[in-house]
Amino acid sequence: MGSPAAGTATASQQPSSGSNNHYPTPSSLPPSQIARLQPHAFLLAHLSPPASSNQPPVRANGRSPAEFRVTSANAGSLTHTNGSAVVRIGDKAAVCGVRAELLYTQDVASWGVSKSSSSSSSISGGATQGEEAGEGEDEEDDSQIRDLHLLVPNLSLSTGCAPGFIPGAPPSALAQSLSHQILSLLHTSRMVRADDLRIWYHPPNLSALERETESHERMDTGEEEEEEEGEEGSESGTSEIKAFWVLYIDVLIISLAGNPFDAAWAAVLAALRDTKLPRAWWNVDNDMVLCSDDASEAKKLHLRGMPIASSYCVFEADPAASWRPVVIPGAAKEEKDVQGKKRSQQSWVLADPDGYEENLCQERICVVVDQDRGGKTKVLRIEKNGGLSVGKEELRKLVNISIGRWNHLKSIIEALR
Amino acid sequence: MTDRRRINGPPCGTRPPVFAPATGKAAESPKRTRRSNELRKIFLKTGLIPSAAGSAYLEIEPARPLLTKPLIARSSALKLTCTVHGPKPLPRSTPFSPNLLITTHVKYAPFAARRRRGYIRDASERDLGVHLETAIRGAIIAERWPKSALEVTVNVLEAEDDRWWGNVSGSYDASWGMMNVLAGCITATSAAIADARIDCLDLVVGGVAALVREEASQKTEGHAVNGSPILVLDPDPSEHRSIVSTCVIAYMPGRDEITELWLKGDALEVALSEDDKRSGHEALIDGAVDTARRLHSVLTAAVVESGERLFSAMTDGTWTKDDNGNVEMKI
Repeated sequence: MGSPAAGTATASQQPSSGSNNHYPTPSSLPPSQIARLQPHAFLLAHLSPPASSNQPPVRANGRSPAEFRVTSANAGSLTHTNGSAVVRIGDKAAVCGVRAELLYTQDVASWGVSKSSSSSSSISGGATQGEEAGEGEDEEDDSQIRDLHLLVPNLSLSTGCAPGFIPGAPPSALAQSLSHQILSLLHTSRMVRADDLRIWYHPPNLSALERETESHERMDTGEEEEEEEGEEGSESGTSEIKAFWVLYIDVLIISLAGNPFDAAWAAVLAALRDTKLPRAWWNVDNDMVLCSDDASEAKKLHLRGMPIASSYCVFEADPAASWRPVVIPGAAKEEKDVQGKKRSQQSWVLADPDGYEENLCQERICVVVDQDRGGKTKVLRIEKNGGLSVGKEELRKLVNISIGRWNHLKSIIEALR
Repeated sequence: MTDRRRINGPPCGTRPPVFAPATGKAAESPKRTRRSNELRKIFLKTGLIPSAAGSAYLEIEPARPLLTKPLIARSSALKLTCTVHGPKPLPRSTPFSPNLLITTHVKYAPFAARRRRGYIRDASERDLGVHLETAIRGAIIAERWPKSALEVTVNVLEAEDDRWWGNVSGSYDASWGMMNVLAGCITATSAAIADARIDCLDLVVGGVAALVREEASQKTEGHAVNGSPILVLDPDPSEHRSIVSTCVIAYMPGRDEITELWLKGDALEVALSEDDKRSGHEALIDGAVDTARRLHSVLTAAVVESGERLFSAMTDGTWTKDDNGNVEMKI
């Protein structure tokens, strides 16, 4: 906790901020014990310093309410992955490894069906391959990643990261929900382009071959290909998708201190930015995809944007307020207004809560923002639950704070190799 | 049956990528460039996971670190984290135990090896857990904590290969990489237990030694007779074409005691060089003890660092080091 406060048993007394100011205290308990015995009062005392002291509210961990923890990142340290990253946010640490495997379209049972229904667009995809994908193709992109399960994120909490999680047990409800949040955010943010994951096969140009009179075997295979293609393979043969890369994105939370989603998402983002896929081609003779082990031929993923998640929680001075009976609106309207005003003052929005604060707060907010090159902000997702303290105006402020956080994290992630 | 609590990916399964042999140059298998009694560099740090009572991170650097990351890893390092939770009270439902109950879990990360591993523990991981438990049980003074439990979790972020990646698995190939992983687990766990301030008889260190047979054409340092295996300390399985036998021990240097001994491969019939009349087993165990003794200094340094951190936290910076390096308290 590292709290400098010489704590007292009563909540109303002033917490000290200097490390060497030892106020005489009525109880002999050290601050760390009071934090355990009276957690709510302890945090409240920190956040509401007396007006006379002119001190800004400080959380028990020494941060100001809108301050995030110190973040550091490192990428590419794991050798057996296509891309990897370690992100530390304060005491939290998340390791993410991305590993690519191949999904052959011949293995996909529904491939022929779905291809015939959308054949025109997939062919046009082949024609524009390598170019910047247009808007119309984006929709197709999206559905293929989703339908074929090309992104497989899994988050593991049973790493001994916190005492509550039993190692070796099936994933807890929290781990399952975090995995699904990452998956849904990967899908909705459409960060990964399906075009990066496709492995095309371009049959050789038959007419050119005939003119050059190549060896007979190659012509035979070429002719077979043409028969498969049917009437479309007239001039240059039709390109077709033979396989997809499937990205297994595994996140291990090594150390947990509240708010695991931010760290996990930042690790996924940094690892995907680090990911390199080897050059792969369809080998007709072996009927399989071969990859080149030349690192210079491998290409990075072209990610769309850089969405960054920031989480908040709301600490209320009076947590039992919601339990009390509601005042009848007509009877005491003025009173209610006063109360409402008071209530809004009595809650604090804490950015990047640690485990201690998370246990004391009911209301959680998660904002995912991104900025395009023109500096226009996109809100990709807002999730809020557990309370009523944050309204429209406060949420707008939070989005602004998240943009500040986005700029900070962007500089950290872009500084990686 | 698919695991419905995890995200499983395509139902028809995926295949790992197959790399085409690069034209022109054939990949060369790595050779050991260290001397036979030279260890790799080891990095050990405690206290990186504040939410646990004790924790340690261990890394063994690959012998040949590369500046650029190739697509097929040329050599692999060992990277693992260890957390210790406890001693904590046993739940009420468990029967009375006069001793500290130790549970150990060793888990490979899905990206730890060349093949993607699943999330469910397999037999080898359970095996490692049992070996690790035996190794640390001998060092902990379990009678001091009746009715309590200790939970040790090891995450292997990156494991060592069982053989060079270019070789097909041979008939007398075993999972040699596991032995190095176990030795790393023992050392890291020992550091984490000390970091959790749990009373031990001594620090347990894991050590590995192996008998390897080099190809007849190649003579290593001249003293190896063709055909007879040589003893190497801290072997990297990918650097040797055929490993005859490997031994892991957990060793307490202060008491000269071995708490765990695991020997794989047949070393009984093996004759070393002419001037060495030891049997293969004896030579292996001696070699592993030698490795462990040398790693002990690294472990001690990590534990001392952990102790210094505790002092500075307890006394809020009033402990200082004087010029002689002794810790003193300001009054």
